[in-house]
Amino acid sequence: MLNSKIIAVIKRELRDKLLSKTFIFMTVLIPVFMVGILALQTLFMSIDGDENTKLEIVSELDQARLKVDEDLAYRDFVKNQNYKISYKVMSAENFEDYLNEKKSSLLSGELTGIIFIPETALKDKSVQYYSKNPSNNSVFSKIRPSINKALVDIYFAEKSLSDTEIQFARDRVDIQEFRVSKDEGVKEEGVGNRILSFLFTFLLYLSLIILGTMVMRSVVEEKNNRIVEILLSSVDAKDLMTGKILGNAIIGLAQMTIWLSPVMLLISTSFFVLPPEFVVNLNPGQLLYFLLNYFIGLITFLGLFASVGAIFDNDQDAQSGIWPVMMLIMIPFFISFSMANNPDNSLATIASMFPFASIIVMPARLTLIDVPLWQLALSFIINLAVIFAIFPIAGKIYRIGILMTGKKPKWSEVIKWIRE
Amino acid sequence: MNALEVKNLSKSFGRIKAVDNASFGVPEGSIFGLIGRNGAGKTTTIRMMMNIYTPDSGEVHLRGTKVDKSFKDKVGYLPEERGLYKKMKVLDTLLFFAEIKGKTGKEIEKKAKYYLQRFDLKDRAASKIEDLSKGNQQKIQFISTVLHEPEFIILDEPFSGLDPINTNLLREIIIEMKDKGKVIIFSTHLMDFAEKMCDHIAMIENGKIILNGELSEIKKRFSQRNISLTHEGNLSFLKGHPIIDKIDDFGNTTGIRVKQPDQTQELLKLLIENNIVVKKFDANDISLHEIFVQVAGKGPDSEFLRGGANA
Repeated sequence: MLNSKIIAVIKRELRDKLLSKTFIFMTVLIPVFMVGILALQTLFMSIDGDENTKLEIVSELDQARLKVDEDLAYRDFVKNQNYKISYKVMSAENFEDYLNEKKSSLLSGELTGIIFIPETALKDKSVQYYSKNPSNNSVFSKIRPSINKALVDIYFAEKSLSDTEIQFARDRVDIQEFRVSKDEGVKEEGVGNRILSFLFTFLLYLSLIILGTMVMRSVVEEKNNRIVEILLSSVDAKDLMTGKILGNAIIGLAQMTIWLSPVMLLISTSFFVLPPEFVVNLNPGQLLYFLLNYFIGLITFLGLFASVGAIFDNDQDAQSGIWPVMMLIMIPFFISFSMANNPDNSLATIASMFPFASIIVMPARLTLIDVPLWQLALSFIINLAVIFAIFPIAGKIYRIGILMTGKKPKWSEVIKWIRE
Repeated sequence: MNALEVKNLSKSFGRIKAVDNASFGVPEGSIFGLIGRNGAGKTTTIRMMMNIYTPDSGEVHLRGTKVDKSFKDKVGYLPEERGLYKKMKVLDTLLFFAEIKGKTGKEIEKKAKYYLQRFDLKDRAASKIEDLSKGNQQKIQFISTVLHEPEFIILDEPFSGLDPINTNLLREIIIEMKDKGKVIIFSTHLMDFAEKMCDHIAMIENGKIILNGELSEIKKRFSQRNISLTHEGNLSFLKGHPIIDKIDDFGNTTGIRVKQPDQTQELLKLLIENNIVVKKFDANDISLHEIFVQVAGKGPDSEFLRGGANA
């Protein structure tokens, strides 16, 4: 299958791209970019924008007022004056008038909000919040635990329970996740694999699109400046396309291996100790499957990108003509994210064995649940079958398109080429 | 003997028949011209000869056997619209083009350096193609066409866009290759040029070969009854004269055809009697222009006939 001409083309692609500044730049930049996005997101989440919050907590019960005050007084956001909280005790009837009185200061923002704890809260734990902006989560998340604690304390104080019993009632349910798998027994599951599945999905998505676009551009360039005519006087169109795709698939594989080397180090040595919730459950076999799957995916998609590139003779037309191929990458990308809530949903299961989609969905699914071996094998076979099915067509489009110049061809004409 | 035999080649693009049942032979050691105006089907024919296009029907034979993939290694091709990888270095470019022709190793590298030196590009071996001037890029293109020692050199409109220095350079290469016994195939719409360089031609018009063979034979065949005249004075009295078959004004020269071969002397007499200053009277001479006009039946006003000026 490989002849010396294909190898010559592969060598040129490698020399052209592997040592290029763009490649080195992308290889370094994409992880930086991904870490950067995560960091930015965390940073933005940590900005509450709730400095100078002025709250009034009005309670029907003096005891509740005392307990809430007692608890909040030790909180950082009260100590550092970000929250200024005043307390009042009054009955529900009086509160209505009081609220009317305070309406203007609420609207002017002089007062951020009023929390009313009615007596009934001891039965139904329901309190009221009055504000210009009532759906402000950061206020709630800060005040809610203190109110809850006060209500729980008061409620159980009458029931003569011990402190430990009260503490138990106060605690939230903490779910520890365990993954049950066939060969490794039961293991505690942290968020490590969830992060890994995001990572796999993102890397596949980004690199398929970036490399695909690169290949498409280089095909358009060769067509546009007519190098292709000299190339074709020396090499068969099929060999030229094969060399180009294999060359770039090797480049992609090298890039992915670089990106994943931290993960490999992580799972193969005990040198790095991660906090238990970040521990990654992945065996080298799965990683190998991922790389192999990626290589097959590259060949499939680079073939599609190359043939679309051959249809057009400028970048703009090619960019707008590539959308059907883009859909084949983007839809699986979103399906892959839908697995975050339930990796075993049937859409994901089907997609992980569906032509084209499998390439992106299966690796993510693999990290989240134990995929039966037959499914892995099936998806692998389907992916190979896809390559054998599309390459005669892609090759034909490439062979005919690459020498067509002038008017932008219509899709109907492209279909005619295939039938030719 | 013919090195290459083109047999009944046809190729259509949609409803347009680009090449229609074309047949001709390219003899060993010849400089062969495929001549026709733009869009006549020259490039399509050449592409089929090199197996870039698959013909709808017909075959190309190389010394008796049908051409296959290996023929590509024997050809050096300079297409009309030339391109190089802009970001690639000069020497790398040359070695890559040789490598896809199956030639690698020290020998080829030495040869590439020899050509670079010969074309005054020795110090540019490590430069990127995009940093070269257009003329120098053309030189790289010539080198890559002949570096792998092809047996056949196919040049598609080789002189279009060349400056005078590179035109001479290319002419030099062509002569050198001919002396080495290589077969050179031109496609061109420049009649004067083809007339000067080619020894065999095929004329193509609307995808059909309308004439082919040895140039001197063809000229002999067409030159009977033909006079090429350079003169001063008004020739209008010849119009409708009983011995005159046809008059074509080509600007500097006028092509006149008499009805009978023995009427040339009579024509000369007639010119003198009518006070025409005869500067050059060339009996039995005909230019490729005139032959084309006769065969294709087109007037000499077409772009294709005037194109020869810069060749």
